[in-house]
Amino acid sequence: MTVKNTYDDVSDGVSGAPIARIMVVDDDPDTVSILARYLRREGFAAVEASSGAECLKLINQGEIVEIILLDLMMPDMDGFEVVRALKNNPATVEIPIIMITARDDIDARAEGMRLGVSDFLPKPVLRKQLANRIHSQLEMVATARATEATLNNIDGKIAGAGKQ
Amino acid sequence: MRHFVGAVRLRDWMSSLPTLQPEIKIDEPDLAYSLERALIGQHPTIVKMRQLIERVAGSDAMVLITGESGTGKEVIARAIHALSSRRDHPFVPVNCAAIPHDLLESEMFGHERGAFTGASVHRQGLFAMANLGTLFLDEVSEMPPVMQAKLLRALEDGVIRRVGSDRGYQIDTRVIAASNADLAAQVRKGAFREDLFYRLQVIPMALSPLRERRSDIPILIEHFLQKACDATGRNLTISREAMVHLWSYDWPGNVRELENMVQRLSIMCHDDLIDTSILPPDLLSPNRTIATEIPQKLSETGLDLNAMVHELEGKLINEALKRTGGNKQAAAKLLRLKRTTFAAKLRRCGVIAAVSEDSGSEL
Repeated sequence: MTVKNTYDDVSDGVSGAPIARIMVVDDDPDTVSILARYLRREGFAAVEASSGAECLKLINQGEIVEIILLDLMMPDMDGFEVVRALKNNPATVEIPIIMITARDDIDARAEGMRLGVSDFLPKPVLRKQLANRIHSQLEMVATARATEATLNNIDGKIAGAGKQ
Repeated sequence: MRHFVGAVRLRDWMSSLPTLQPEIKIDEPDLAYSLERALIGQHPTIVKMRQLIERVAGSDAMVLITGESGTGKEVIARAIHALSSRRDHPFVPVNCAAIPHDLLESEMFGHERGAFTGASVHRQGLFAMANLGTLFLDEVSEMPPVMQAKLLRALEDGVIRRVGSDRGYQIDTRVIAASNADLAAQVRKGAFREDLFYRLQVIPMALSPLRERRSDIPILIEHFLQKACDATGRNLTISREAMVHLWSYDWPGNVRELENMVQRLSIMCHDDLIDTSILPPDLLSPNRTIATEIPQKLSETGLDLNAMVHELEGKLINEALKRTGGNKQAAAKLLRLKRTTFAAKLRRCGVIAAVSEDSGSEL
């Protein structure tokens, strides 16, 4: 199954709309490169980060991504710490985080759920599952942006419509 | 069982959808209306949706609500009505798919006595019933082309004509339309009039499916549980593990399915605790894409052996990798396979990356 990049279609109708950017965060370089390669093949822009600290650094430097694929088990700063930092920052609180973890257990899920993770992806990562989850979150981002756009120019639309 | 009146009514409503005479409920105005309580959730898409509802309610602009079945399109329409200056007048919901095509015109616009066989009395029609209020046209994509043209005319002129009458009646009805089909795609296919589409969709409002906003699942569960508690006087709680399973499920029937599930679980549970022991098997499967049932007998219609073998293989390979913490060599040994055969099977099963906690290896 391939991921159709519907986000482009829905963004704002301007031709040449940006390709969805997805960040991959994992301390294992092989995993990062496999996932990044897969994402690029599917037509996304992949941003690679080898640690939680690098993920936060890139974001703070102004890197804009639609989704973050985040490994849970990382040395120094684990995935949960990264989630906490992103969710505590108003600028990044809305970025959907898909947590990738070998620890496909209830405790990890419960904690992720509590912290506001958007979805989980167990290792081994299956193409179909990854595609489904990315698709879902991009659809959500597109919906949120469309609603935002409607809100921003609603006065014009209401005035144009007038009373029935 | 007074507290489950709501559940029963919902079930009745669902089973009664394709009836000839849809029941039309006209609501009493709700004085203590709270948008936060009507459209529950804290996900950014829902927060923005509430803002949009508040803005839209202050005008008569045409709204088209889209979203999968069970996402709450009618909730949005009711909210717009309840917050508008029309709130003291009727809100009339109508499911366009539930009315036979040849009755739709007289249902919508009414008919004169004797207009057709069986029209023994004059009938005012849904547009007129919703005069000064709001007419909610659900599943508008199901409207046949002839009715699309008549609806467009009524919306443009603000005048309706009863079947069998030459006279037009001025009406002041706000129309809110909804569809779970992609109406723009219907337009491209030629199944829905483009002019009507643009007329209806001055303000588009799209609802996300529940699986796209999982963070609201616990909030919704708490809300539905509280409803069950209020109605029964019980003190229902849910275990953390059960909550995680409900959170992980994809909810193809969206909020409505979740509400039904919580109601069902609250009836089934012992000692007021909802735990994993009473969850249906679908909800417990940690792997949402792999089927669990391997048939032991060949059914009448046969089966796709390759697909089934492939699925079984994938499932067991996944199990082996999980059990060995992602260590492929150990997983291959568990399945009595050579490492190279195992690697080939992994690739065929669509595994992209299996990484063990310690080594980290590429497939």
